[in-house]
Amino acid sequence: MADLARTRHSSLARRTTGSQQAGLREFLSFRLGNDAYAVELARIREIVSSPPVTEVPRSPSDIVGICSVRGLLVTVVDLRQRLGLEVTAATKLSRILLTNTDSGEVVGLLVDEVRHVIRLSSAEIEVSGSVLGADLSDHVLGVGRPDGDFVVLLDLASMVES
Amino acid sequence: MAEGVDKAREEFFSEAQELVESLSRNLLALDTALRNKQEDPGLVNEAFRAVHTLKGLAGLFGAKRVGTLSHRLEDVLDSLRLGRLPLTEHVLDLLFRAVELYGDALSVERTRSDDPLPAIDGLIDEFARLGSEVPTGGSPLARFELDQAMLAVLTEYEEHRLKTCVEQGLLLYRVRVDFALATIDRALEEIKSRAKSHGEVITYLPTGASTGADTIELDLLLASGSSLADLEASLGNNGAIIEPIRLRRPETAPSGTSPSVRPRSLPSLPAPAPGLSLSERAPEALEPGVAAHKNIAQTVRVDIRKLDALMNVVGELAIVKNALARLGERIRAEGGRQLGSELHSIQRSFDRRLGEMQNGILEVRMVPLGQVFDRLARVVRQIGREMGKDIRLVITGAETEIDKLIVEELSDPLMHVVRNAIDHGIEVAEERLRVGKPLAGTIALNAFQKGNHVVIEVEDDGHGINEAAIVERAVALGKVHPEEVAQLARSEIFNLVFVPGLSTRKEASDYSGRGVGMDVVKTNISKLGGVIDLHSEAEIGTKLTITLPVTLAIVSALLVRVVGRVFAMPLTSVAEAITLDETQVRMLDGREVMTLRGVTLPICRLGRVFGLAPLPGAVMAKRQYVVVATLGSRRLGFAVDDLQGQQDIVIKPLGKSLSNVRGFSGATELGDQRVALVLDPAALIEEMLRGSETSRERRLGYG
Repeated sequence: MADLARTRHSSLARRTTGSQQAGLREFLSFRLGNDAYAVELARIREIVSSPPVTEVPRSPSDIVGICSVRGLLVTVVDLRQRLGLEVTAATKLSRILLTNTDSGEVVGLLVDEVRHVIRLSSAEIEVSGSVLGADLSDHVLGVGRPDGDFVVLLDLASMVES
Repeated sequence: MAEGVDKAREEFFSEAQELVESLSRNLLALDTALRNKQEDPGLVNEAFRAVHTLKGLAGLFGAKRVGTLSHRLEDVLDSLRLGRLPLTEHVLDLLFRAVELYGDALSVERTRSDDPLPAIDGLIDEFARLGSEVPTGGSPLARFELDQAMLAVLTEYEEHRLKTCVEQGLLLYRVRVDFALATIDRALEEIKSRAKSHGEVITYLPTGASTGADTIELDLLLASGSSLADLEASLGNNGAIIEPIRLRRPETAPSGTSPSVRPRSLPSLPAPAPGLSLSERAPEALEPGVAAHKNIAQTVRVDIRKLDALMNVVGELAIVKNALARLGERIRAEGGRQLGSELHSIQRSFDRRLGEMQNGILEVRMVPLGQVFDRLARVVRQIGREMGKDIRLVITGAETEIDKLIVEELSDPLMHVVRNAIDHGIEVAEERLRVGKPLAGTIALNAFQKGNHVVIEVEDDGHGINEAAIVERAVALGKVHPEEVAQLARSEIFNLVFVPGLSTRKEASDYSGRGVGMDVVKTNISKLGGVIDLHSEAEIGTKLTITLPVTLAIVSALLVRVVGRVFAMPLTSVAEAITLDETQVRMLDGREVMTLRGVTLPICRLGRVFGLAPLPGAVMAKRQYVVVATLGSRRLGFAVDDLQGQQDIVIKPLGKSLSNVRGFSGATELGDQRVALVLDPAALIEEMLRGSETSRERRLGYG
């Protein structure tokens, strides 16, 4: 009984203090195709469902275009293209993750579906990008294995600042 | 907390900047006065006050370099105002150098770096070499029957002014006025300003005579060249009693300042009444910066980003307004006529207020062009002196207002143009004499508003542009085909000045030849949505005209549709729009052209240039239009599918990841939540016509 209470207490503490707890990091996981990916939650300022996007002629092919989120101009990046994955059309489940860059630009990452927030201790993060494709490895922090799941952790900074 | 400190620091920098600018203005006025052999002690005094305030501020914010510079500069200015140091061209040069150094020092302080600025020490050394000459010889004041008690309470500065005035042969008067205590501030200012037109008020002291409970009697000591009658006519109606202070008779003139002689005309002045402190007596002499603070109290300093944010809100309100309008239409269409018209009238009044608000914010962003002109005046003086050319600068329209952001971007291009005018335009003295021009070259800076634009003209009375030399050089560089030379219009020849790599002088000078050509000037002006034109007459001079939009925040744009996409084109560069007659389109030099009123107009099909794929389900437009855009004297027709009307838009810059994309100056939100790209006609014209220039070069190479 006492044991149960202790477990319960610690899981509560985990939930409330979240990332502040030593070695525990929060990630937002999302889907691209059939695979799960995640980026650090603290760097995502907002999730929006696809507003009308205006294409920008002559822009790099992995930039979908620009859109406005409440007066804020957002450059929308097709994350599939940037990672060298197969490109598909946006669906009803598609979302745009907004993130601030150092240059002051707001970049939106187009993903197929937003899943949920995961918390990983450093033990659950496997730092090895070499097993993945070459295009990917530049942007990969490591692989997360929350509860037997398999999530590719992406380095947001390297993806939007490059 | 840290934010508050940063904010205070920011304010320090902008206030310091203002003080330096006011110092610069004072020095320029002093320079003019010096040339006209006049003396204006007020200007030295104001300069002194600005530096004094700056010193205090620098101390408060730990800006050591600014503090050190101010400290020494204050000493020099103090010596100047006390007459211990004569004002010469050399001293002014040093003072102007200090102004430049302030700019450097402030930017170093801003970065919070600890780099020393050796230039400051260099200048301080030169200040020290000026020394300070104490004037010798008997006091000229001895000639006047002045009350010693009054002389005793004069500040060193006042005494100096008094001596100087007497040396200039001015007469001294005592003006006695009875002031009501309640209105003394205003009344005193009024009488001082009236007296100023006759001479200089050296000091004013209370007489101590009891005239009433709520009045006070003051004696003003006035040095003036006017006669007693004139003074009485001008000051008498204020109830002032004016008496001249007599000259001593030669036999009674003492050798020194013997206190034994009591002047008869000026009754003995008692020491100031105990209740009156010295600072109340002469606020402007003892509390530097007070006058400046009074002015500032009426104004608020605002970060321009805050105004941008407000402007964004207004832009969003405009979107709400459009949505309301659409809703009104829908309600009316669905039969709710009454409700629809009510909504319509509300929307109309909303629209008006919104317009007022927008104008209000725009007005706040406006600053007078005088800010840039002051800086230019300094450059003109400096370059003129260093090149040994006597330059007279004539400024008109300094009060013309323009967007703050434009003013900041304008400084460099204008500086370059003015340098060019002095260096290449104005002849050396011997040459001017030979052709019968006045010795001093004139540079005129004129600014005025013309509709939604501000026009700035830079005019010099130099020898004009050597058209033949320009053409020769353009041919040598392959910019113009030799066969085309004969067909070049004069305006086209002048425009060659803006072609990269074209400078008519073989050797570049220190000032204009810093690798920055007129092409850069032109590019910078174009970036501001401006147009630059040049006209020159041999032996008469050159005139450069810059036309700029009043503001960058909001531009009128023409909305066009190209292959299903909407683009905005700033109206500033649109000359006209016409229907495209495909039968008129011919191929010339590998590109499409048409003839418009007898002139060949190259055509750019935007859909093709941008590689736009047709949208699914789209039908080809039956009729196309050509929007004629101009950049200086160059024209290009943009072929578009449809014209969708005019709209005021707020341009937002594209993000860094799109900074390499050419042809767009930004994006704007249309009413329906959609974003439209704003075309950059200047860049597109440049790009399209450069294409033809390279093909011409290729032809030259093979032929």
